Amino acid sequence: MTDRTTARRTTTALWTAGVTVVLAGMPLLARDRLPDRLATHWGLNGTSPDGSMPLWAASLVPALIWLVTAAAVTVPLMRAGPPARPWTAVTLLPLGVVLAGVQAAVIRSNLDRADWHEARQPTGWVVAILVAAVLAGVAGWLLVTRRSGAADDGTTSGDDAPTLDIPKGRRLVWFSRTANPWLQLLAAATGLVAVGALVALLGGLAAPGALWALFAGCAVASLACAVSSSVQARVSERGLEVSFGPLGWPGRRWAPGDIDTARMEVRRPAEVGGWGYRLSGLGTTVMLRAGECLVIRPRGRRSDFAVSVDDAERGAALLNALRTDRARG
Amino acid sequence: MLLSLDKTDTRPLHEQVAGAVRRAIAEGECAPGDRLPSARDLSEALDVNVNTVLRALRGLRDEGLLEFRRGRGVTVAEGARPHSELQIRVRELLTEAARLGYSRTDLIDMIRGMP
Repeated sequence: MTDRTTARRTTTALWTAGVTVVLAGMPLLARDRLPDRLATHWGLNGTSPDGSMPLWAASLVPALIWLVTAAAVTVPLMRAGPPARPWTAVTLLPLGVVLAGVQAAVIRSNLDRADWHEARQPTGWVVAILVAAVLAGVAGWLLVTRRSGAADDGTTSGDDAPTLDIPKGRRLVWFSRTANPWLQLLAAATGLVAVGALVALLGGLAAPGALWALFAGCAVASLACAVSSSVQARVSERGLEVSFGPLGWPGRRWAPGDIDTARMEVRRPAEVGGWGYRLSGLGTTVMLRAGECLVIRPRGRRSDFAVSVDDAERGAALLNALRTDRARG
Repeated sequence: MLLSLDKTDTRPLHEQVAGAVRRAIAEGECAPGDRLPSARDLSEALDVNVNTVLRALRGLRDEGLLEFRRGRGVTVAEGARPHSELQIRVRELLTEAARLGYSRTDLIDMIRGMP
């Protein structure tokens, strides 16, 4: 484990340093063929640039952005403990690719121009960079899930999973519910702004363009917050059912036969990347508060599904009991 | 909270559901102020008709164990725990008396005759 941790740290440090050198070095290496100021920004509709930087700034600014982001991503995750560290790969890999690609595109379009106004928008580059970033993200994701899957398989065996005795002829059901008041508040606040914007729109109080954007943005934010502000979990003979939001919709369901094993685990938002519906190296986590989570491993999958609810130990135990009951006959 | 239903029980279903919730309250599965799962959730999980669940919940409200609040759903009433323990014991007494051949009036007379 220590070997792997050291290897991971070294990889992160090398990647961070390498990208920094590339970002800062590229303009300096090509300085003989570049104009004094580099075109660094192009408008959405025109091909001529609308922003520029002196050569030294074009070299330092992206490198600084990269270093600050890398530090912001790495330090809290390093502190969060071993399970969360794979997250760095998923964030830093695509970001490094994007920044390096953008820097290369900027250099390329300024190369051999006498003045930055002559630099043309590198549209083809932008598309290529986006594609490369998505590929890098997917590659990082695959790398991370495979690794953590391999690590997990060694540690969890089905034997130590909690279980519960269901007396013969009894039907047991388990319910649990968690709400996050901050997310509820946020949903209410953004909802109010959205309604206000809609009223102003209908009344023709202000320019429609900005108001529509405000309404759409706040409405989407409000819905997203409302859906992830509370979660209900229930275990019955139908299996595990998890539903979101005050309406209990959307929801997900796993039949007892679709679950390999269930357990309780203590997780914190820092380990899974924040609050809400989270995808990370630990699998999917519905994180509403730090603490007990009910974690299941769906059959035939390499990653877990977790939901932060109280009394998760008994929920997992009942789920395991239902699973083995069904398997026996 | 954990609810338990006896599949071999022959009593009417709404009484069984009410009994399961009453026991859950008595055993501290849900504390006063806690929100109960919605009637639809209960009916799906217990595999019981939703109207049967509603009938059970209304009965428990009339006993003073539950409160129906607009916008907050069904919550466990203040002081419901000792109350539900007593309710369970009264029911046990009734079944035991019926088994021994005493009617409800006989029981009431017995309680009246207590010093």
